[in-house]
Amino acid sequence: MKNDTKPISRKAFMEELRRYEKGSVTRRHFLGVTGLGTAMAVMGGAMPGLLPTRARAQEIGDRVVLATWPNYHDPANFDAFTDATGAYTQVNVFGSNEEMLAKIQAGGSGWDVFVPTNYAVPTYVEAGLIEPLDLSKIPNYDPAAFDSRFADAGTIDGVVYGVPKNWGTTGIAFNSDKTGGVVDSWKTFFDGARDQFDGRAMVHDYQLTTIGNALVYHGFSFNSVDPAELAQAEKLLIDVKPHLYAISSDYQPAMRNGDAWLTMCWTGDGKQMNSDMPEIGFALGKEGGEIWSDFYAIPKGAPHKEAAYALINFLLDPQVNARESLAHGYPVADSRTNALLPEELLNDPILYPAAEALAPLEFGAAVTLTDPNRAELMARFKSA
Amino acid sequence: MLDGYADAGNTMTQDHDMTQSPTDTRQTVAEFVGATKRFGEVLAADRIDLRIRRGEFLSFLGPSGCGKTTALRMLAGFESPTEGEVLIDGREVGGMPAYRRPVNMVFQHYALFPHMTVAENVGYGLRQRRPRLPKHEIADRVIRALATVRLDDFAQRRIWELSGGQQQRVALARAIINEPKILLLDEPMAALDAKLRGEMQRELLDLQRSLGITFVLVTHDQEEALSMSDRICIMGHGRIIQVGTPQDLYDRPRSRYVADFVGKANIVEGQIAARHSGWAQAALGNGVHVLVQDEPDDTRTHVDIAIRPEALSLVRRSDPTPAATAALPAMVTHRTFLGDHTEYLLTAEGIGTLQVNAPRAAERVAGGHDVGAYVHVLWPEQTGLVLAADS
Amino acid sequence: MAMTQFRARALLLTPAGLWYAALLLLPLAVVLIFSFGERSAIGGYAPGFTLEQYANLPARFAAFRNTMTLAPLGTVASLLIAYPLAYFLAVRVSPKWKTMLLVLVIVPFWTSILIRSYAWIFLLGGKGIPALLAQIGLDDVRLLNTPFAVLVGIVYGYLPLMVFPIYVALEKLDKRLLEAAADLGTPPWRAFLQITLPLSMPGVLTGSMLVFILLMGEFLIPAILGGGKVFFVGNALVDLFLQSRNWAFGSAVAVALVVIMLITVALYTRAVKRFGASRDDVGLM
Repeated sequence: MKNDTKPISRKAFMEELRRYEKGSVTRRHFLGVTGLGTAMAVMGGAMPGLLPTRARAQEIGDRVVLATWPNYHDPANFDAFTDATGAYTQVNVFGSNEEMLAKIQAGGSGWDVFVPTNYAVPTYVEAGLIEPLDLSKIPNYDPAAFDSRFADAGTIDGVVYGVPKNWGTTGIAFNSDKTGGVVDSWKTFFDGARDQFDGRAMVHDYQLTTIGNALVYHGFSFNSVDPAELAQAEKLLIDVKPHLYAISSDYQPAMRNGDAWLTMCWTGDGKQMNSDMPEIGFALGKEGGEIWSDFYAIPKGAPHKEAAYALINFLLDPQVNARESLAHGYPVADSRTNALLPEELLNDPILYPAAEALAPLEFGAAVTLTDPNRAELMARFKSA
Repeated sequence: MLDGYADAGNTMTQDHDMTQSPTDTRQTVAEFVGATKRFGEVLAADRIDLRIRRGEFLSFLGPSGCGKTTALRMLAGFESPTEGEVLIDGREVGGMPAYRRPVNMVFQHYALFPHMTVAENVGYGLRQRRPRLPKHEIADRVIRALATVRLDDFAQRRIWELSGGQQQRVALARAIINEPKILLLDEPMAALDAKLRGEMQRELLDLQRSLGITFVLVTHDQEEALSMSDRICIMGHGRIIQVGTPQDLYDRPRSRYVADFVGKANIVEGQIAARHSGWAQAALGNGVHVLVQDEPDDTRTHVDIAIRPEALSLVRRSDPTPAATAALPAMVTHRTFLGDHTEYLLTAEGIGTLQVNAPRAAERVAGGHDVGAYVHVLWPEQTGLVLAADS
Repeated sequence: MAMTQFRARALLLTPAGLWYAALLLLPLAVVLIFSFGERSAIGGYAPGFTLEQYANLPARFAAFRNTMTLAPLGTVASLLIAYPLAYFLAVRVSPKWKTMLLVLVIVPFWTSILIRSYAWIFLLGGKGIPALLAQIGLDDVRLLNTPFAVLVGIVYGYLPLMVFPIYVALEKLDKRLLEAAADLGTPPWRAFLQITLPLSMPGVLTGSMLVFILLMGEFLIPAILGGGKVFFVGNALVDLFLQSRNWAFGSAVAVALVVIMLITVALYTRAVKRFGASRDDVGLM
């Protein structure tokens, strides 16, 4: 509180800017909406000089195109992949599952590997947009080593369409200096937003979590599409809206500079902010909320299918996967990988919350992705 | 400089009307008193002294850059003098902005307002009056002003629908409707073709006579100045060179500059042999003596003498020389038939090139002269003029 | 003879016609066709013929209302700031400095609007202007994530588009007209209203039109400076195509937006004709 009324100094500004860059560039929403990620990927692809050519290239081709989320990989691993196979990894960054789906639906994405979240997989299967995986080409995937809770959503009707990448949760990040303590319930979140945290709370610009957590506030399922329940969630959201600081999935900057005091937050962001500013804590809503799991998958018509298998297999190598996890701060469901990770990371309550905190959480359901009512509700909320 | 006019050391800037009392505003509508304008290093107007008489048609004549436009703009109020004074109706107006001055201008390219109709343009000045004039009065006066310039039917036209001559009349109407003390005209005919120009010149003169407004015209066209002006003020290098009536300037140019600029003049060198009360006996380069006009106080022995081409005439060498006339031997080098007269260029021994204009009537009687013919150029006594030294 | 001419003209117009068809008419036709279709069960487009999407337009009424409020407001605010600046550049500045100052107006344009809008987050955020205001006793002023912040971003982002047409109009203005006005008894401030302003109207209209049309499609500035709480038609379109993937409804919204833009352009053209004083002064887009 004490520093709030002082204008920012030049030094502080530069620090802020660096944090800001760090924070904002990792934001899915930001990159998604602006298309910057796509632009960078396109530019990379347009400069052949950037693409290494090797003798081995003809085996799997000279490149593999990956559609993924921002700051979700260790770039060094891509270099190692190129060294090992001669194929260059072209990375396209996206903001949401919806956007990724829109792009694949539109056709001609040119992707070889993408990373759908659990609840999106059934839709891809239904629409015939995803390739069943030939596990013989992914020897590094050992189903026995993976926590089935985070692996099952990749398999539909006995066919494996995705192998698990990472998992995480959507909870509450709060600045304890401002909130005066831990915020660990959606009741405190939404009621506080209209009271002691007036003008200081942020919700995602994302129907799944924003509507889902409003449903959880009322004691309904995170995934409900019941019109009566949705109506109650809508009433809450529209009531809260004038008191919100922002509706944005780009919450790190505002949290870091103190303008926002609490926000809906994904695991990795919570971990990043907590590492830099210990006063920012991360907690799961007592009433429930989202738990999720991302998968590596191959879209139908992938132009470099062999390279796609090679890349997935490479990234699932426990050594490689451990380096990934250290870089992005999201937990892995692979016991072989966890065995390689440092103790304090495995004990981190943000990455690995206690079992009783995880218990009420729900995996997102496929129906929320395609339900038109939830989409319209979100539009009404944003334009209210 | 105290009385404002006589720069004793420089007769060339002296006005002819020094007899007037300096404050007589019945006769003097405007006055420049030592008015000087500098634009940075450039001296655009250099100690201008001039009285403009009420009701006269005065022209500033000179080549571009001579200061004539600067003088006009000081009168209009677009420039204020760096030194000296400008007076209108006896009041010093140096610091008075243009919009307060009782003068109006017809601009070189008319500067009509393109977003207004002809009537709106003409009535513009009246609409600026505070307190406001009644609408019907403005309307009436617009109609009258348009009638004056014979544009009765054009009131509702757009400016870009008009020809150049019509635009010029609108500009004129827009200015005279305000009944200015002085109407300023900045090269108003420059954009018109020759035929239209003559027509407009006559109309402008008629208008000036009927309105009785003082007109001050800026032009580089000597014919325009000669044909329209009561007086002409010849300018050069920011200074007034000579002021006088058109006849005055034509007959008695006081300098080579004026003689060259007003009409065409032969200028020959002469050695003064004798002087007597405004007349001088001068020996030309070929030794022939001519009697020419001179300033009474002139003491120079080596002078330039100006003589108009039409003052000279040609005869065959064998023809007798009339009395009181000098005969200069010469040879015809060029002959140009120009309808009402023939223009001859000749090389005169010891003198150089001379131009002689022979009237058609005389040629009919005596016959012409071929190129290469040896002739006598006849110089009647008392027609030449000793020029003052150019400064 | 006439046939040859006709053929020659057709031949010459073909490349332009193809561009026009490929880049404008074709996409527009696709959008139009989509707007009569349906949303497929999993999102995207399903063929069909229904007016349902148009009937549903009132569901985005708020977005249209916000856009149609902030776009004119932003245009007027830009105009009020751009006009004095353009006037200063065109009339007051000595030619020596003119080019440099003009370049300074353009330079921000070389930076992405994204980056520039982000800079405003700092200025309007808690440690920016509000912190300065707090020092003079105005506590807890919130600027960021308000319609005001969006307006600031809009004005800042679109200023050059407004400045330049006005600058050109004022630059073209014959200074002798102002002398003529002064000569006819008009003090400078009145001459500005009677001569300068009306004659710069083509520039004002062109600038306003550029800014207004672009503002109607704006989505970035409200998203960044409005904190997602200020919802324009542009934001509605982004959400409809990329989030809820209701392409049919998105197309209907897009068609409605295009229709509003066309009406605006038509009104603009009429206004230009009225203000276009002389034929060569008319600044048509």
